[in-house]
Amino acid sequence: MKEVSLFIPCTVDLFLPLIGEATVSLLRRAGVTPVYRRGQTCCGQPAMNSGYRKEAKKAAKHFIELFGDDEVIVSPSGSCVCMVKHHYPELLADEPEWSRRAAEVARRVYELSQYLVDVLNVTDMGAAYQGKVAYHESCHVLRGLGVSTQPKKLISAVKGTELVSMNQDDFCCGFGGEFASHYPDISESMVQDKVQNYIDSGADLLILCEPGCLLNIGGYLSRHHPEKRAMHLANFLAQNGREMPR
Amino acid sequence: MKISTEKFTELAKKEVEKARARPFLKMVPHSLYQKRKAGLATLPDAAAAQAYGAAIRSEAINRLPELLEEFEKKATANGAKVFWARTAKEAREYIVNLASERGAKFVIKGKSMVTEEIGLNEALSDHGIEPWEADLGEFIIQQMHRPPFHIVGPAINVPVEEIRDLFMAKGIMKEPTLDPVALGWAARRFLREKFHRAEFGVTGVNMAVAETGTIINLENEGNIRFAKSSPRTQVSVMTLEKVVPTMKDAMHLIRLLSRNCSGQNISAYVSMDSGPKQDGEIDGPEELIIVIVDNGRSGIYQDPKARDALRCIRCAACLNICPVYRQIGGYAYGWVYSGPMGQVLMPLLLGLDKTQDIYRACSLCGACKSVCPAGIDHPALFLYYRSLDVSTDHSFKGKRRPWREALFFKAWSMAVQRFWIWDTGISVTRPFINKNSENGVIHNMKGAFGGWFRKRDLPPMAEKTFHEKWEEIKKTR
Amino acid sequence: MQSARNEILERLRAAPKTKIPVRPFMPPLKEVSLDKEELVNQFTEMLTAETGIVYRVKNNDQALEKLTEIAKQEGLKGVMVSTDDVATSLDLPAWGSKTGVKVMSAKDFNGRDEFRDAVFDRVEAGITGIDFAVAESGTLGLIHDKDQARLVSLAPILHIAIVPVERVFPVYETVIESVFNQEKLPSQFVFITGPSMTGDIEGHLFKGMHGPRKVIVILIG
Repeated sequence: MKEVSLFIPCTVDLFLPLIGEATVSLLRRAGVTPVYRRGQTCCGQPAMNSGYRKEAKKAAKHFIELFGDDEVIVSPSGSCVCMVKHHYPELLADEPEWSRRAAEVARRVYELSQYLVDVLNVTDMGAAYQGKVAYHESCHVLRGLGVSTQPKKLISAVKGTELVSMNQDDFCCGFGGEFASHYPDISESMVQDKVQNYIDSGADLLILCEPGCLLNIGGYLSRHHPEKRAMHLANFLAQNGREMPR
Repeated sequence: MKISTEKFTELAKKEVEKARARPFLKMVPHSLYQKRKAGLATLPDAAAAQAYGAAIRSEAINRLPELLEEFEKKATANGAKVFWARTAKEAREYIVNLASERGAKFVIKGKSMVTEEIGLNEALSDHGIEPWEADLGEFIIQQMHRPPFHIVGPAINVPVEEIRDLFMAKGIMKEPTLDPVALGWAARRFLREKFHRAEFGVTGVNMAVAETGTIINLENEGNIRFAKSSPRTQVSVMTLEKVVPTMKDAMHLIRLLSRNCSGQNISAYVSMDSGPKQDGEIDGPEELIIVIVDNGRSGIYQDPKARDALRCIRCAACLNICPVYRQIGGYAYGWVYSGPMGQVLMPLLLGLDKTQDIYRACSLCGACKSVCPAGIDHPALFLYYRSLDVSTDHSFKGKRRPWREALFFKAWSMAVQRFWIWDTGISVTRPFINKNSENGVIHNMKGAFGGWFRKRDLPPMAEKTFHEKWEEIKKTR
Repeated sequence: MQSARNEILERLRAAPKTKIPVRPFMPPLKEVSLDKEELVNQFTEMLTAETGIVYRVKNNDQALEKLTEIAKQEGLKGVMVSTDDVATSLDLPAWGSKTGVKVMSAKDFNGRDEFRDAVFDRVEAGITGIDFAVAESGTLGLIHDKDQARLVSLAPILHIAIVPVERVFPVYETVIESVFNQEKLPSQFVFITGPSMTGDIEGHLFKGMHGPRKVIVILIG
């Protein structure tokens, strides 16, 4: 069976490992064998976003060393994939050999739903859920990668599930990495709006493809609307039985 | 105008809390955004039109010196006078002296952000020449001594009650009313006198066409046309980057600017000046002076990445869609320019040290980039400025970052490339983080990410991280 | 010491050069393939959407009849008219004598100050011909010169424009090619689309700010 290399974001590794487990489960269900390169740490986004390019470069080189020979790399995070695809080549532009390797790796990295639908041509993961769900279009998934129909196809294939529309579903939830803690007034205001739109949609569950968004929206729900749930697409499809830990 | 870019966080906090602004902020930017979508849909291929606009602006910026020279040559041949100003000071001194020499007691003004940037109004007042902002929104904020809330609609957040009170207090109307139409007409009556008697008009410039030496202004109200018709002297102020290669390019940008701004096919008035009035014309300026202002832009131009910020055509599409702008409005940005376009431009004009929050208060959502008709990549520029700031680049006036942050990333960079450090780091920090956990949730934690916990929880660090669990997971089916 | 101009230009020239992008393909606007009648309809539709009032008449006589109607409706006592070729062809002074409307033009005044006083305070409408009309947005194009003063279509509260249908064109570029390909360019060329307007108060859009509050077009032909 074809092997696919798992790229597990640090947020998932440290705080939301069940998303990683669900990713493994889904890839197996779709007929590929996930392998996990030990030694993977972080894509480098935190450093990149804060302007620490020298440090981000180190993360980039480490990643390329580790994943450089893999034909396919799949991650349950759009922002991490964007980091590798869009920023690694830019970061390493002044080192020709690394630049070439970065371009190679950039071609081979995929966000999970993108890989399942566009490459493996799978939309029905065999899941079932009775109820209404809404989908939050994470910024890096939607605008960074142009991925939007894929998650929705996967959600719509879940038996018993109705995908309802949500106001301003493509608006930023206010995470933005360090932005959320450095500009809490603005960030809180944004996540408040996002949650209100979710509540107004009438959905029982909010699905998304970005661990950062999940920590943010989930964190706000936990504090203010514990009865409402948010879940990563991978968990929803794999039906681990547990949503975002409370 | 006073610069308060360093007060961003404090001002943003106030604005978020202000109940008054928020219902407005919920409605108007969104309504403009919807209008924009509808306006662009009237074009056979909106995406191609936007891409074409980006190509025009990219070419204009990349051919800047050559186009400026051509513009000057043609404008001068048309009979206009061109004055170049290196600094804000040179520009405003020139205009004030000219107005003085012409014996102007007052000046009527069209909306022009560069005249705000150079502090023209204060300079005129200081010399006993009264500047009258005639664009309704600018007029209102001028009377209220307020900064602009939005680059296109500077008073758009001011409630009608406050406008009524202002107009009554200033004698602009005699009968109180809350009807926006009646308020507008009161302002019309009041300012009409100024248009009638004006001898010195000051306008901005939307586009300076190199091919023909023509300056172009877009407006809906008519005050710019008045400033170009009634007075004997017209001064039109532009920054370097307003230049556009050809008239056909200008027509395309007119279509894009009008739609991106407010969903209109075209503004009510587009006036195109190629020199002063000619013999026999009974109105129009006897002298047309075009002031070309640098004020730091030739410096910005040295950097091929940063110069893309100069492509901006001031449509405000980025403001209307920006989730940060929609939470805080224009005041928090602290100067003439707000929203994402302000965030890419002000750090270059004022220095990275004076605008630390301006390019950091962004979640990098990319909505701005997705709507920009000039093809500006705002998020890429923010990342660029942040990296220049960290490396304390002198030409951009980067600042030294807090030592804790620098240290954190030093440590982080060691951990990301050496798995054993990463792994050890996790084992060591986990108990400290998780001791804050109550019933499987962290409600509060002191330290660097303290801001998070005001309104949000966090899950505890997993007892077994994914990499610690992998051997187990591998074995399952 | 170097002039500001040279300093600025030199600094710009010394900067790194970057690539000029290729212009992407753009499909043409639909107006370029419309015939004359369709263009007139498109023009009318677009201007009407901006609250412009558009009348269609067959010839100059009918145009003057329509003008008489308008003068009555609007209570016009005094009008300022341009002396461009279209306006002149109607002989508006004669019409004025017949209908009792006082018809003035820039040539009746001794210089700009007198003219200004009249056009600001003593007329209820400005009547102009036009050089072009653009179907894509219901826009009027006026070349300002000695026969087309700027304030005539700006200061009075009503602007009446006489538009021969032969002068209706599809898109801006057609017009620009004609106006700006000359030796001597007009001091000012304007595009006017409907009455003046604003949305500056709470985003509330309304017509009639500093320029005319109403625009009436009489299409001839």
